[in-house]
Amino acid sequence: MPPASRDAPPALLDRRLVVVTGKGGTGKSTLSAAIALAAARRGKRVLVCEVSARERVSELLARPASGTQIHELSPNLFSVHVRPAEAMREYALMTLRYETLYRIAFENAAARYFLAAAPSLAEIVMLGKVWWHAARETERGRPRWDLVVLDAPATGHGLTFLTVPEVFLSIVSEGPLARDMRDMQSLLADPARCRTCIVTLPEEMPANEAVELHRALEQHGLPQGALFLNGVFAPRFTPQERTQVARGGPLLAAAADAADAHEARADLSVRYEKLLREAVPLPLLPVPYLFDRSFGAQSVEKVARAIEAAL
Amino acid sequence: MIPFPAGGLARRPSLDEVLARRRVVCCVGSGGVGKTTTAAALAVRFAMAGKRTLVLTIDPARRLANSLGLQSLGNRETRIDPQLFRAAGLAPRGEMYAMMLDLKLTWDELVQRQAPTPERARQILDNRLYQKLSTAMAGSLEYMAMEKVYELNGSGRFDVIVLDTPPTASALDFLHAPARILDVLDNDAMRIVLGPMLKASRIGLKLFALPISLVLRTLARFTGQDFLRDLAQFMVAFEGMYEGFKQRAGQVKRLLSGSEAAFVLVTSPSPLTVEEALFFHRALKTDGIATAAVVVNRVQRDPHRFGGPDAAAALREALQLAQIPDGGNPPISERLSRTLSEQATLADLDRRQVEALSRKLSGVPLYVVPRLRRDVHDLQGLWQIDECLSAAEE
Repeated sequence: MPPASRDAPPALLDRRLVVVTGKGGTGKSTLSAAIALAAARRGKRVLVCEVSARERVSELLARPASGTQIHELSPNLFSVHVRPAEAMREYALMTLRYETLYRIAFENAAARYFLAAAPSLAEIVMLGKVWWHAARETERGRPRWDLVVLDAPATGHGLTFLTVPEVFLSIVSEGPLARDMRDMQSLLADPARCRTCIVTLPEEMPANEAVELHRALEQHGLPQGALFLNGVFAPRFTPQERTQVARGGPLLAAAADAADAHEARADLSVRYEKLLREAVPLPLLPVPYLFDRSFGAQSVEKVARAIEAAL
Repeated sequence: MIPFPAGGLARRPSLDEVLARRRVVCCVGSGGVGKTTTAAALAVRFAMAGKRTLVLTIDPARRLANSLGLQSLGNRETRIDPQLFRAAGLAPRGEMYAMMLDLKLTWDELVQRQAPTPERARQILDNRLYQKLSTAMAGSLEYMAMEKVYELNGSGRFDVIVLDTPPTASALDFLHAPARILDVLDNDAMRIVLGPMLKASRIGLKLFALPISLVLRTLARFTGQDFLRDLAQFMVAFEGMYEGFKQRAGQVKRLLSGSEAAFVLVTSPSPLTVEEALFFHRALKTDGIATAAVVVNRVQRDPHRFGGPDAAAALREALQLAQIPDGGNPPISERLSRTLSEQATLADLDRRQVEALSRKLSGVPLYVVPRLRRDVHDLQGLWQIDECLSAAEE
């Protein structure tokens, strides 16, 4: 399936599952929270699934950590922490149905080694859990969540994470796990239900990685939603103004240095935005750099406001 | 290690003092902190000082790789052309080489080296599971990076090897990855579980005939039998080779925890990466390894180190004095005032992080590299970083 073209708005918030990935430190969790906040404001019931070692979304919204239980962080915005050990247990129980069987198979020393050897079993069960949330329905047969936002791991690992069903199915083709993996695979690959978004920064390595990630996702047939360029500095001074200020003498020395530092970053923003627009045919949403002394609810609020019109 | 008491009583040793007589320098830190650039800058530094230096990198930025004339992958070392040094106005007394680690190839070479016969090596290399495991298993990259360093160090071809470690976000896996991976491969319990499967094919025993088979049957329900069969075949092929692997992993560990190796912690001043740097430091300490130095990259400098007012009204007067029209919308004076305040905020946030890091890592010499005005992607830029690393403490 072709990715959304630049002309058509992604209508990201109308999907069942939005996956947010990108290089480490680019602000994936902040963007995940902002996307969820924007959706919740439109009256959608949203669940954010976090899969990294530490929960960040609840922390960003200044709420107690959700842990493995679903908690409401703000109106209509819920979060849950998906951890490998618990996910493994829940998932195995769902598949094997009997607690005793689970104990025999999974709490056995030998099996633990086996589980360590099975490629990406932790990722498989975590993704399985996320998929379960996305597919869950209420008693009346309506989706339990209008939107599930997955705050996925950083690039290299993130791609491993999203291609886990594909890799698994290339090794294992029978059994209940393989069946679920096929369902998962079809959700991730369905552009009507799922879109993967990339978060990046106006710097060389993150920008290049975003381009590579975009291509890899495309190769694996995973439909994409948008590219978020985070931490953008807008040009503020003309070259002429900078020259004048730089020659303005000692009274303007600090100001000239600050203007130089600002414009150096604005140059990078302009250069990498251009590069990304050329290399990645996805809607590009710039998010301005925030000078917040501590990152919290008000920062997520600012980011949500910067992007919500385009969602 | 050079004594450096807490509280800054002694002067901070120079980076050259800290790294003198080291043969292996490992740059560790989370992704996106400029680790590759720091590793390359250290290699340039050693080469300038007359050492035959190799930088082993995992995933360099394309512009840096291109500007150094680096070929991609293949585990081949490339000498950085002396002409490039001359063009950058540098005259190294030593030589600099660079290599990009090829994960799959390093595994294959290790298997070939350790296998008793070429046929056995082939059996393993052809196994479907080996092909997945060797590149997909957690810690595999760390294991092979260390293995390569050990091999290169043993070759005696280089005076110093600088390693740009993989961007491990959550765990410091270098020292534990080999043991963990080998544990999985060589595990009696697992052999017992898989035993029936092996025997079944060998001597015609009915599959799952033994009591232990309940475990196996349950696992098979979960993953399918193909996977278990691949695993069993893989283990048969590997039999008898664990000792060799283990011995070698032990030697790698000894090299890295010995006095010839130095671990340099690389970080940026963002709270997240500082937190991770501290985590790395503790993890190293647990393994009895002292952090030799910490490098903080991209530290924003305060514009107020230069003089002048920062309020819009005062700036308007300063502009007037300098006969610069306060034009534009908003006027320059207001934009300058806002920019000054933003840049000062950035500098203050960074300063606090550096101070906190320095306090928590008391005793570890800390070197600051300011945020440079342009991307570093050539020898000149790398040398500029080296000069920052040599600069006095502020």
